[in-house]
Amino acid sequence: MSLRLGAMLPEVLRHLFKKPATVQYPFQKIGVPKGFRGKPVMDPNLCIGCQMCVRDCPSEALEIHKESESTDEAGKVTKRFSMTFYLDRCSHCAQCAEVCPKKAIHMDTEFEDAAFDRGALKLTYK
Amino acid sequence: MSTFILPVGPQHPALKEPTSFRFMVDGETVVDADLRLGYNHRGIEKGCEERTYIQDLYMLERVCGICSNVHMTVFAQGVEKLMGIEPPKRGLFIRCLMGELERVHSHLLWLGVAGHEVGFDTFFMYTWRDREIVEDILEMISGNRVNYGMQTFGGVRRDLDEMQIKKALEGIAALKARTPYYLNIGATEPTLVARIAGVGKLPKEKALELNAAGPTTRASGVDFDVRKDDPYAGFGEHIPFNIVTDEGGDVLARVVVRAKELMESYNICEFILKNLPAGEIRVKAPRKVPEGEVVSRAEAQRGECIHYIRSNGSDKPDRVKVRAPTLANWPATLYMLRGGYVADIPIVMAAIDPCLSCTDRMAVISDVRKGTEQVMDWEGLRRYGIEFHRKRGIKL
Ligand code: SF4
Ligand code: SF4
Repeated sequence: MSLRLGAMLPEVLRHLFKKPATVQYPFQKIGVPKGFRGKPVMDPNLCIGCQMCVRDCPSEALEIHKESESTDEAGKVTKRFSMTFYLDRCSHCAQCAEVCPKKAIHMDTEFEDAAFDRGALKLTYK
Repeated sequence: MSTFILPVGPQHPALKEPTSFRFMVDGETVVDADLRLGYNHRGIEKGCEERTYIQDLYMLERVCGICSNVHMTVFAQGVEKLMGIEPPKRGLFIRCLMGELERVHSHLLWLGVAGHEVGFDTFFMYTWRDREIVEDILEMISGNRVNYGMQTFGGVRRDLDEMQIKKALEGIAALKARTPYYLNIGATEPTLVARIAGVGKLPKEKALELNAAGPTTRASGVDFDVRKDDPYAGFGEHIPFNIVTDEGGDVLARVVVRAKELMESYNICEFILKNLPAGEIRVKAPRKVPEGEVVSRAEAQRGECIHYIRSNGSDKPDRVKVRAPTLANWPATLYMLRGGYVADIPIVMAAIDPCLSCTDRMAVISDVRKGTEQVMDWEGLRRYGIEFHRKRGIKL
């Protein structure tokens, strides 16, 4: 192969007439794919309080608390659980959603989760 | 001859991560080079002992931001061996696919960085623009651009559908059309060639003697690649590919090897996507791992990545040791720097694609002249650790 001075020049000149490769975020957004791993969201109606999500979370970002326990006339016990979730610790691995036997957790597609106040990153699902 | 020592680091504007070099220079020439590691001890290995295997997967994924998938793969396949389970073929193929896509993103990133280090920023911008294509594929498949979280014990966590396969093939085709252009530029742009040809020479005997790894050793003519020499996942019998080597042994050869490896990786990706076996992607894995020890390795984009795992039969490992490929390349790098110019230091170092934080573990400095070297057994080390913290007022 012979050497050519300015071998990249034609390419560079061509690009003067092409549209930019980047978008003007935050005015323009390109969106995220279907399976994007945002933050976990828990549905308390499905949770049975098995604590599997808490046990597997690598970042200690989850807590499950018992909210109430009631017994109806037939003697059937109904328990409700809430989840406290610390977004500032979460590493978005989706292991909690994977391990939940009741599919009570799913990952949302939010990607603009930053906050100035750490307290705002503590979320409760109940 | 009068020489003086030029210290660089541990904190230095030219270093992206903390490490400490000492260059013995005579004018512009580097006479000798020395290195001190251990400034970025993150306690990852100890952390692994405190967590369950499944938590360790995600922890080890974060050893490195660029080779995240490789660390996850190596750990997963090591633990699978201890558990005595074998992922299904489709799972293994997707495992390989992720590894190759990661290699593509990493090599494109490196080509850009190499361009930047020698002042060829145009090259940097185009390679990084094209890297977005593979990043989009990775994000589409795994749901994330950096830590893909795809590997797990017994297979992979996500499957591919027809739409994704089609899109991935389109992306690969675009990259495949684009990459020969970079190879061409790398070999014909006279300013670039003049800057990198003959710089950072590493002859084949030295590469072998100093145990260099990955593209660094392959650019010195050593045809070692874990994918071929100790095939894992779907490599070996199922997935065909060629090892790329070059006889040059300089920075130019390292550019050429990486650019050609990109082409090989595209072929592997295409082969996998077109021949994906039907069936399950994972098998069920137990929570507890039977007692035993294992060494697991894989070819990371920077070279051979090794994990040692020892299990005591519980759900937490007894010991995990991680050897990142950069550690293998340091002795060779010091050799390459000797006799070169001070101005060549950044590109010679960049040419091994170093990852300092991934490499750093706890370092004990022993004074060889005073003979303070010592060997400790497991119990002794444990006692030493407890003493060390007690003395500093930390309650255990
Ligand atoms: S996504 Fe991962 S880190 Fe985040 S809460 Fe779930 S398990 Fe924990
Ligand atoms: S794993 Fe699912 S069901 Fe179990 S506690 Fe967590 S959210 Fe509830």
